[in-house]
Amino acid sequence: MSFETVISSIFTLAFIATVIRISTPLILPALGGLFSELAGVINIALEGLMLAAAFFGVVIGTFSPQWFPGLPFWVHPWLGALAGILVAMLLAWIIAFFHLELGADIILTALAINILAQGGTVFIMFALTGDKGSTSTLASPAIPNVVIPFVNNVPGLGTLLNAENLTGYNIMTYAAIIFTVLVWIMLYRTPIGAHLRAVGENPAAAASVGINVKRVQYMALLLSGFFSALGGINLSMGYLTIFQANMTAGRGFIALAAVFLGNKNPIGTVIAAIIFGAATALGAQMGTLNVPNQYIEMIPPFVTIAALVIYNLRRRAQIAASARKFQEKMQTEQEVV
Amino acid sequence: MTEKRKPFLLDLLRIVTVIIVALLLGFLITVMVSEEPVAAFESLLTGPFPKISMGEAGLQLKGINRFGNWLEDSITLILVGLAVAVVFRAQQFSLGAEGQIYIGALAAGIVSLFISAPLAIHIGLALIAAALAGFIWGWVPGVLKAYVNADEIVSTLMLNVIAIQIYRLLLTQWLRNPDAGYIATEFFPETAVLPIIIPGTRVTIALILTVAAIIGTWFLMMRTPLGYELRVVGDNLKFAEYGGVNTKRTIALSMAISGALAGLAGAHLSMGLLKQLTLNISLGIGFEGIVVALLARNDPKAVPLAGLFYGYLRTGAQIMERSSDVTREVVLIIQAIIIILITAERMLPLLQEWWKKRRHSPDELIAEAQEAADVV
Repeated sequence: MSFETVISSIFTLAFIATVIRISTPLILPALGGLFSELAGVINIALEGLMLAAAFFGVVIGTFSPQWFPGLPFWVHPWLGALAGILVAMLLAWIIAFFHLELGADIILTALAINILAQGGTVFIMFALTGDKGSTSTLASPAIPNVVIPFVNNVPGLGTLLNAENLTGYNIMTYAAIIFTVLVWIMLYRTPIGAHLRAVGENPAAAASVGINVKRVQYMALLLSGFFSALGGINLSMGYLTIFQANMTAGRGFIALAAVFLGNKNPIGTVIAAIIFGAATALGAQMGTLNVPNQYIEMIPPFVTIAALVIYNLRRRAQIAASARKFQEKMQTEQEVV
Repeated sequence: MTEKRKPFLLDLLRIVTVIIVALLLGFLITVMVSEEPVAAFESLLTGPFPKISMGEAGLQLKGINRFGNWLEDSITLILVGLAVAVVFRAQQFSLGAEGQIYIGALAAGIVSLFISAPLAIHIGLALIAAALAGFIWGWVPGVLKAYVNADEIVSTLMLNVIAIQIYRLLLTQWLRNPDAGYIATEFFPETAVLPIIIPGTRVTIALILTVAAIIGTWFLMMRTPLGYELRVVGDNLKFAEYGGVNTKRTIALSMAISGALAGLAGAHLSMGLLKQLTLNISLGIGFEGIVVALLARNDPKAVPLAGLFYGYLRTGAQIMERSSDVTREVVLIIQAIIIILITAERMLPLLQEWWKKRRHSPDELIAEAQEAADVV
């Protein structure tokens, strides 16, 4: 494949569809990471929470028909998804409890949860299937795709709205879009969002005006568990219908990076997640050009570090500027007197 | 991470209790999935130790290679544990050891393969290259943290990804031996392979280097001005600033020194154990160093003990996996429990309080009072 074909393949609707699919399991955990970061309780366990949810979604989804044979068929994948969400939220609660009640360091506790998820999923998978690599012996269900009706007849539009082979995007993609809007509304248009941001900005000040800091931080961490779980479920019950050991492959950390690159606001975070998704999709295209995909894999971390530096330099400049303004104002006031 | 001076014995008791609780929980989990949990746990806990038996040929040592596995794994863990202890002591949350291991191994590998020199010099050059590469790879996020206030957790995690990708890029594009059936370099020349000091194992002079690293790190932390500044920065950053410590330089250096130690761990993996560079030289051992540093309470003197303990557990887990129906991942679960319990600082006081309350609940007090009254 020539360079031109790769370039032209990027400017196609199919490429956009690929980016949307790849970005979904980044956007969802990034929204979770945003909550915890804004509330001042950084959560580096997004990766582990995703992994645990991906695993328990597959396992419970698989065994649900045996346990509840009376239920209609479409319910079982959702029971699996629910189990995944609950497990991830339970793990997030453990982080919150040990950090907020028992004074444990939040980085180390989250790191332990990552290790627990990584080891625990393989441990249980081996006990269940005798395989340490994947759950290929389990016939695990999928959560459905959403096909938008009628548009498939319009060339192009069908590809854009219902993905390359017109079978629709996974329902989690739509969840990502809807939740982005909801999260924005919640953070900037509701009291609870204001509380959350206040707690992250200055916990002592927030407490002094009667905000229950601990409760807000519990909520933020539980939400990070919830959103990470949606991302994990998307991987193992949508993108693929199988759990593989360590299948999140660093997405939780990239999602965390998206929060920082996105300047800790929901729109920026989602855009950052999409940029990372696009970089990955580009990597897949470049692979056909014999460009080593290691170059592409380096883009997200490089961009994140650059963003981290720029963010802090800008912040410092802002502080310096406002300090100067303040001094000038004081001076003019003195002159008036 | 905040360290208060506690009586040494109490600290030790706490850590031993945490380990016992974690092992018990690990056993409980094993019971749930295994058909022979006792045998599995027995091989986990006794496996790495060589068996001494009285044969016809006199005293015989069996399982010397397992013993070797334990030591060689512990060397890696101790070096990484030292690396983590140095940054954690300065209250810097560098999680970059994993990337520094890769970069260190890469530097050691390049020097080993492309420079020819007599034995001692070749090894020395490769080790220096590894330490220097790790030093730089730790210094970068250190400078970013110290001078730009860029969050070191995020930057080191990102630098891990970059390091691993650089390693893979150079390995697959440039260093790879096309004749090998898998992605790896040629074996290093003999002048660049660490000499073995315990026959029948892969325990090399890295063991002696590690002892030197332990003493060196201890000396640096406890007996030099830099070490003092590093500890003051860790204890109280504001106080250090008012006291005239160049905190920015200290923060950057703490992360760089940590990187050098992790780089040496990478050299041990490549020049001692594998004798070549392979695609996955470390599968997360940079993060395992954290549990070692935690068990040692960031004290370089205690790191060897913690490293040997955790290395024992890891080696035992491999033996258990081979001889039973339990996977070695059970050790990851135990590790997670250890980290969580050890960092939960307020757990002990809370337990004490709860115990006191239980013993002197209002109802009981009333009952006691009534009993006393009845007697009267």
